[in-house]
Amino acid sequence: MPKEFKLPDIGEGVHEGEITKWLVKEGDPIKEEQLFVEVMTDKVTVQLPSPYTGTVLRILAKEGELVRVGSPIIVVGEEGDTLPASPAPPSRQEPAAPQEPTAPEAPRTAPTPPPTGEVLATPAVRRLARELSVDLAAVRGTGPRGRITEDDVHSVGRRSAAMPASQEVVPVPPAPTGRPEERIPIHGIRRRIAEKMHKSTTTAAHFTYVEEVDMTHLVHLRDKLKGRAEKKGVRLTYLPFIVRAVVAALKDHPTLNATLDDERQELVVKRYYHIGIATATDAGLIVPVIHDADRRDLNGLAAEIERLADAARTNRLTPQDISGGTFTITSLGALGGILATPIINWPEVAIVGIHRIEKRPVVHGEQVVVRDMMYLTCSFDHRAIDGHIGAAFVESLKEFLEHPALLFVEA
Amino acid sequence: MARPVDLLVIGAGPGGYVAAIRAAQLGLKTVLVDKDGRLGGECLNYGCIPSKALIFTANLVHKLRHAGEMGIEYSGLRVNMEKLQKWRASVIERLNRGIEQLCQANGVEVLFGEASFLDPRRIRVVDHDKAVLEEFDAAKVIVATGSRPNDLPAFRFDGRRILSSKEALELAVAPAHLLVIGGGVTGLELGTYFAKLGTQLTVVEFLAQILPGVDPEAARIVARSLKKLGADVHVGSQATTWKEAEGRIVVAAETPDGPREFVVDTVLVTIGRRPSTDGLNLANAGVGTDEKGFIRVDREMRTNVRHIFAVGDVVGQPFLAHKASKEGIVAAEVAAGRAAAADWRALPSAIFTDPEVATVGLDEAAAAQKGFEVRVGKVPFAAMGRALAAGETEGFVKVVMDAKTARLLGVQIVGPDASDLISEMAVAIEMGASVEDIALTIHPHPTLPEAIMEAAEAALGRAIHVVNR
Repeated sequence: MPKEFKLPDIGEGVHEGEITKWLVKEGDPIKEEQLFVEVMTDKVTVQLPSPYTGTVLRILAKEGELVRVGSPIIVVGEEGDTLPASPAPPSRQEPAAPQEPTAPEAPRTAPTPPPTGEVLATPAVRRLARELSVDLAAVRGTGPRGRITEDDVHSVGRRSAAMPASQEVVPVPPAPTGRPEERIPIHGIRRRIAEKMHKSTTTAAHFTYVEEVDMTHLVHLRDKLKGRAEKKGVRLTYLPFIVRAVVAALKDHPTLNATLDDERQELVVKRYYHIGIATATDAGLIVPVIHDADRRDLNGLAAEIERLADAARTNRLTPQDISGGTFTITSLGALGGILATPIINWPEVAIVGIHRIEKRPVVHGEQVVVRDMMYLTCSFDHRAIDGHIGAAFVESLKEFLEHPALLFVEA
Repeated sequence: MARPVDLLVIGAGPGGYVAAIRAAQLGLKTVLVDKDGRLGGECLNYGCIPSKALIFTANLVHKLRHAGEMGIEYSGLRVNMEKLQKWRASVIERLNRGIEQLCQANGVEVLFGEASFLDPRRIRVVDHDKAVLEEFDAAKVIVATGSRPNDLPAFRFDGRRILSSKEALELAVAPAHLLVIGGGVTGLELGTYFAKLGTQLTVVEFLAQILPGVDPEAARIVARSLKKLGADVHVGSQATTWKEAEGRIVVAAETPDGPREFVVDTVLVTIGRRPSTDGLNLANAGVGTDEKGFIRVDREMRTNVRHIFAVGDVVGQPFLAHKASKEGIVAAEVAAGRAAAADWRALPSAIFTDPEVATVGLDEAAAAQKGFEVRVGKVPFAAMGRALAAGETEGFVKVVMDAKTARLLGVQIVGPDASDLISEMAVAIEMGASVEDIALTIHPHPTLPEAIMEAAEAALGRAIHVVNR
């Protein structure tokens, strides 16, 4: 008997995933535990292992397609099963009209895959959708059990009218320009980044505060500890120190370790410290999270940072690894540059951008001396964080970084 | 000169006349053509309506004959068939007139004659003598020409011995012994009617179950009740030949018990229907059909020729008047530029056997085939006070539920007034109701629909008036 595999629940709050890559094709043999598909949720990209051994009979979702959790994505048959002659209906197609039992000569239809997500909408709502040219399959219902209401259709209809190329309507294919150009689909992590950045910049009232930090002591300290850490197999960068300093500064200024609940108009202050580290990957920017950063020692932080960076590069992050962040750090100086203004990882309320450490002439007393200097650029959501609070946080962070001994006495 | 019209509707049955009225309401200059010389089509004149006029009368007779237990005593109950037939005709006539008036009031022009395509837009209408009545240049056309009964090579309709349903309905004398070939809806409805008037009934059905396609449990109840009426039912059997002998008919049949001969007075052949498209010259319009001759249409009821629509029996099964009417409305609205589509989820059907059978949505087997995790709630009418009080305890209500989501998938009702009970469930399915919604809705006591509420509770494992399984 061919078996279906449904998109599993791959993490808290994940309702759908985008199929980013099939690692098998129809007709391929497949083994239990073999990774067969790459799925991207709004949080992470994962590769799923096959629960069955056999032959891939059907692939039910295309690359780039959004699939709801619980929808079948692949049909696996016994080893040696052959492909059926007729293609299966795509996963979101409406099941055929119910067969009428009174029809005397009606043939029984062949078994079909379970119907998936026939849209729940009353006849009047279905008519409204037709009149507004709204595809109900692309509308998320807000009623009980996902029922699509008149309001849901109206709101999509309005958006489609205002923004013809939005997700809900099929955009008209662009006319070829005749010039050499390539059209790269915005999907997968790229789409998530686009959505999140847009959400953040259109929601949060950004302001950015810039400070200069003398890192000389920290550079010395790190040089001292680097060798010891290496013997324990840990690569000690500046990042663990900065994480530690950030946590210490957040403890002084707790309202920055928070998210803003726009719906309820509440600032949710966190009493735990899950620090996100913005990380570049081939697919785009993602933010792995160091959970309970306040409970890890320096080497522990370094080891966790390295694990997360590796996992990010090889698509092995778990949903847990990229969820629950309370505050984010982003490194902006790898290639050079002087200052950049980071975008807040919404719904968090603040982000710290760190730049490169370089030797610069600094006035000390009456003398110009050479010091290891670094710029910090911190963005805040002014709806929740006023200027003086943000400034106080950055000054506190500066103090911890300039006098790293504090990081070890205050803990 | 061809007269230009916005819409020409060919066929004035429940698909065509409804389409014409809706189109006229939407401002289209509409002409409705029918070759029969009266409005209403097969359904009104030779099908649903006359058969119900007769069936309900026969039910009354039957009920009186079996009301002794309730203390009804009488002598000399007699059915005057001639009067009954007159009454049937009067019912039809009233409805004919009603449709005529509706067409007139809505500005639909009616023309009696036979239409045929000269090309995709031009249609000629001729009278019985093939004299041309008029030619039309139609911007849009709706084909609603319906279907007609099939016969068998060995049993050709002759209007005397071998009858179609149409002729059987007009019989002024109930045959002493009637053999029905085809134990489907029409055959059993008419067979039951005659049996209740005292006819000895034999049914020969080719498939293994009477009412093929209907939930087997429901079909079993009907089979049991036929037996009580003294009917002789042979499933898995095939009538092969017939001959006349001493003024009677001897029908030979292959049955699971071997060859049999039945000596009867009349044979009724009800083995399905085929599309009525003769004379239309669909080829001149380029309209495509399937291998059985049914016109292919899309969800907007358009044929492959964009301005030509088709609705009702002529587009294929199921052959139901209410389906034709809804399709007619869709076609008319699309023709008038509205956004309409045949997107219903519930197509209820009603069978007027004894007891009645009415269904909507999926039955158990179909739901399982579609991959649902099926749960069923079933309540016999014998558990319902109202059914007992009315002396009609045969049958049940069965609710088919998707166990995962509690969505209502389908309902099968066999029992008293099943045909009237099913509409509530059609609404529920169209609204995407869960079985919980139905169980939580108060149904008045004592009424038959309480059985629906109870069956919903049973599906959820918490029925009150039956033991939950």
